[in-house]
Amino acid sequence: MEIKEFINTLDDCKLEGDKIVISGGLHRAIESAKSMSFDMLKSITAVDLSNGEVELIYLLYSVENDENLFISIKTNSEAETVTDIFPSAVADENEIYDMFGIHFLNNDKLKRLYMPESWDGYPLRKDYVSDDTRLAWNDNEENS
Amino acid sequence: MNYLYHLYMEFLSRYSIPDVIGNITFYIIPFCIIALALLVVVLILVLAERKLLGWFTQRKGPNRVGFWGLLQTLADAFKLLIKENITPDKADRFLFNLAPVLVFVPVMTVLGIIPYSAEFTFADSSTNVILYLILAAFPVLGIFLAGWASNNKYSLIGALRGIAQVLSYELPVSFVILSVIVLASTMNLTGITLAQYSRLGVAGWFFIPCFIGFLIMFICILAELNRCPFDLPEAESELICGYNTEYSGMRFALFYLSEYAMLFANAVFITILFFGGYLSPFGTYLSYLILGDSNAANICVYFEQAFWLFFKASFIIFVIIWIRALLPRLASFDLLKFSWAFLLPVSILNLFGIIIYKYIMGGV
Amino acid sequence: MTMKKTLKLNLGPQHPSTHGVLRLILELDGEKIVSCEPDVGYLHRGMEKMAENMTYIQYLPTADRIDYLAGCFYSELLCRTVEKAKGVELSQRVKTIRVILLELNRIASHLLWIGAFLMDLGAVSPFFYAMREREMILRYFEKLTGQRMMYNYFVFGGVRKDIDYIEDIENIIKILPEKIKDYEKIITDNPIFLKRTKGKGILEQDVAFNYAVTGVNLRASGIEYDIRTTDYLYEGFKFKPVVLEGKDSWARYKARILELKESIKIIEQGLNILTYGEKLEQNLINPINLKLPEGEYYNEIEAPRGLASVYIKSTGDDKPYRLKWRTGSYYSVNLLRKLLVGEYLNDAIAISGSLDIILPEVDK
Repeated sequence: MEIKEFINTLDDCKLEGDKIVISGGLHRAIESAKSMSFDMLKSITAVDLSNGEVELIYLLYSVENDENLFISIKTNSEAETVTDIFPSAVADENEIYDMFGIHFLNNDKLKRLYMPESWDGYPLRKDYVSDDTRLAWNDNEENS
Repeated sequence: MNYLYHLYMEFLSRYSIPDVIGNITFYIIPFCIIALALLVVVLILVLAERKLLGWFTQRKGPNRVGFWGLLQTLADAFKLLIKENITPDKADRFLFNLAPVLVFVPVMTVLGIIPYSAEFTFADSSTNVILYLILAAFPVLGIFLAGWASNNKYSLIGALRGIAQVLSYELPVSFVILSVIVLASTMNLTGITLAQYSRLGVAGWFFIPCFIGFLIMFICILAELNRCPFDLPEAESELICGYNTEYSGMRFALFYLSEYAMLFANAVFITILFFGGYLSPFGTYLSYLILGDSNAANICVYFEQAFWLFFKASFIIFVIIWIRALLPRLASFDLLKFSWAFLLPVSILNLFGIIIYKYIMGGV
Repeated sequence: MTMKKTLKLNLGPQHPSTHGVLRLILELDGEKIVSCEPDVGYLHRGMEKMAENMTYIQYLPTADRIDYLAGCFYSELLCRTVEKAKGVELSQRVKTIRVILLELNRIASHLLWIGAFLMDLGAVSPFFYAMREREMILRYFEKLTGQRMMYNYFVFGGVRKDIDYIEDIENIIKILPEKIKDYEKIITDNPIFLKRTKGKGILEQDVAFNYAVTGVNLRASGIEYDIRTTDYLYEGFKFKPVVLEGKDSWARYKARILELKESIKIIEQGLNILTYGEKLEQNLINPINLKLPEGEYYNEIEAPRGLASVYIKSTGDDKPYRLKWRTGSYYSVNLLRKLLVGEYLNDAIAISGSLDIILPEVDK
């Protein structure tokens, strides 16, 4: 029910299975979703599509109606932050930044989370090569 | 100590050793005894605590070294002795090394002023209650220095907590001790012990008129010893180990030793103030009952008195360990509030109550 | 010149009360926390990257290791995803077996939490009591699956073998309620415990939503959100999600205690459904060359530490194209940024303890 209402508020979107795919205006979409009782951002999932694009799937949840809402957006290297709407996104965006190298605009808390600061490359990208020299990063740092 | 002194001199003159040597050694021997007894007491206490905690928490406690784990603490002590003494690079070396000594020395001294049995006080003075009060609060200086000199944030926080805690819990203790002084009309620990004598044994003990005082004292002792639930200065789940985080080897052993020695000393002190010290709970000593009025009984009675003192003290230690097994830790803010807002007023009221009691009983 | 200086304290990653290797960068003003910055990643094993290079059956044992205290839940998630993608129906017996094991695992996890939480607060004994009961459950798991923590018992389309040693489960659920009563006796109404937890770490509902807190922590803030109510495994089981209004640490503690009781009820019902003689019917999926149809799969489950979910994108290959775990603890850690500010250090430990954070779940 809510999902259909929500779709009506968006200008440019299409439905792919459960997912609502939007091409832009992410911040506004999430904001309007929150105002429509989708009050929890369960998680943000990033998928590298192997064509230089990364798909971000925002999973919102409405406790009132017990409904999941998937919002999907494709991006190259930048995306709008939603941390001002959902503080929980700080954790997700940080992880995605660390693993996929997506810069979230206006999110100043981005830093390498699991990987060391000096690490180059983003491990969950499909073009990431885990070669041996990089695995021995401790030695490299000492030598340089 | 006149009786013992005469016995000793008699013993020496039998082997024609000059009196001078006797006069000197008579005062040295007790201190050797204290040092040895301290070690033994701590070894037993540590083992007792670990065993008891083990039983309280459905475990067996140490049971590998020696029969029934008896040598466990000895092995631990040995391990501590052979470990390297590490001083952190950025620590203040002089204060860092001084701190354990400053903690240890007052504890040793405290054990000297306790009357273990009649005529068996190593350093008897007419005001040794006051002396005790000063010495018991003294280790906190060492604790603070340890925390400050370690140059470790956890140590520093632990030390600050320690200072705040001891300062706020020292006041109620003073008022309680004052009320005991009023009851006994003396500031001498032997005098306080003797003031509790009655034919009925237990009936004369001060915990009956001064029960509130006893409870306050007990709580404050827990706080001063940094025992659970007041173990904030070394709260291991918050501050790793508190003020002695950076200590290792012998210096840590000194902290450890003085902690348990202080536990023992405080338990004995409570016993003296409220439970009749070395007095028998039956009014008369068992030695006299069994051996009659003989010379052997006169000697035996010293040991019996020491036994009663240790027996009562170990019961108090048992309760302290029991509490450690049971209770969670207080928050630091609540801890201070509890002392200033509750214990202090109650202890002052208790003092007034005791004064009125004493007046009515016609003791003045 | 008066300048307010704050102290930067690194709590962890090697610290007794961070339950693993969490590092909290705290800014302290005295003992008051000005800001908190969690730093995770000390246990990161690259689970999501591993999945992309492994077939589904190779990855199945890895799923257990996401949360070593409640491994069943994550292997169940993976199995469920594969089963749903393949359109395989589970027989009632398999469902019941899974529910029983999941709930036993939840009990074990909650029990450990109770012990660890009380340890954070400084009480020693409850930890050992809780471990004793947890041990029964782990022993049972060891008997049944050969493993104490990483069970690897659920397989695609069923379970590895039929459930056995049912009398052990019966024994566990007979003993547990009495033991829980014991915990409540020594913990729930303990005045110090109340003081440390009542009104501490209040998690308002909007904050909980904003920080995506789920599971017991959310339900202790008065929101009824338990995926078990809509879970297909739990169909036919009667239970009530535990919802408390307290919002504080105490409510989170109480909710877990009540949840233990609910879990016991569910296991009892499960045992009633399992009739001894009935044969195990499984629709096992051949794991060799197992390929999921192209598409995206999303499944969730109520894990002990909040909502756990898995997202799998398959391109029709025998390896997942992308696999993403969502774990409850990850968001609880994030919540610390908000919840710890303005609290005292020792309350901070209690609050972060009450959220039930476990680091392998955070780091994946």
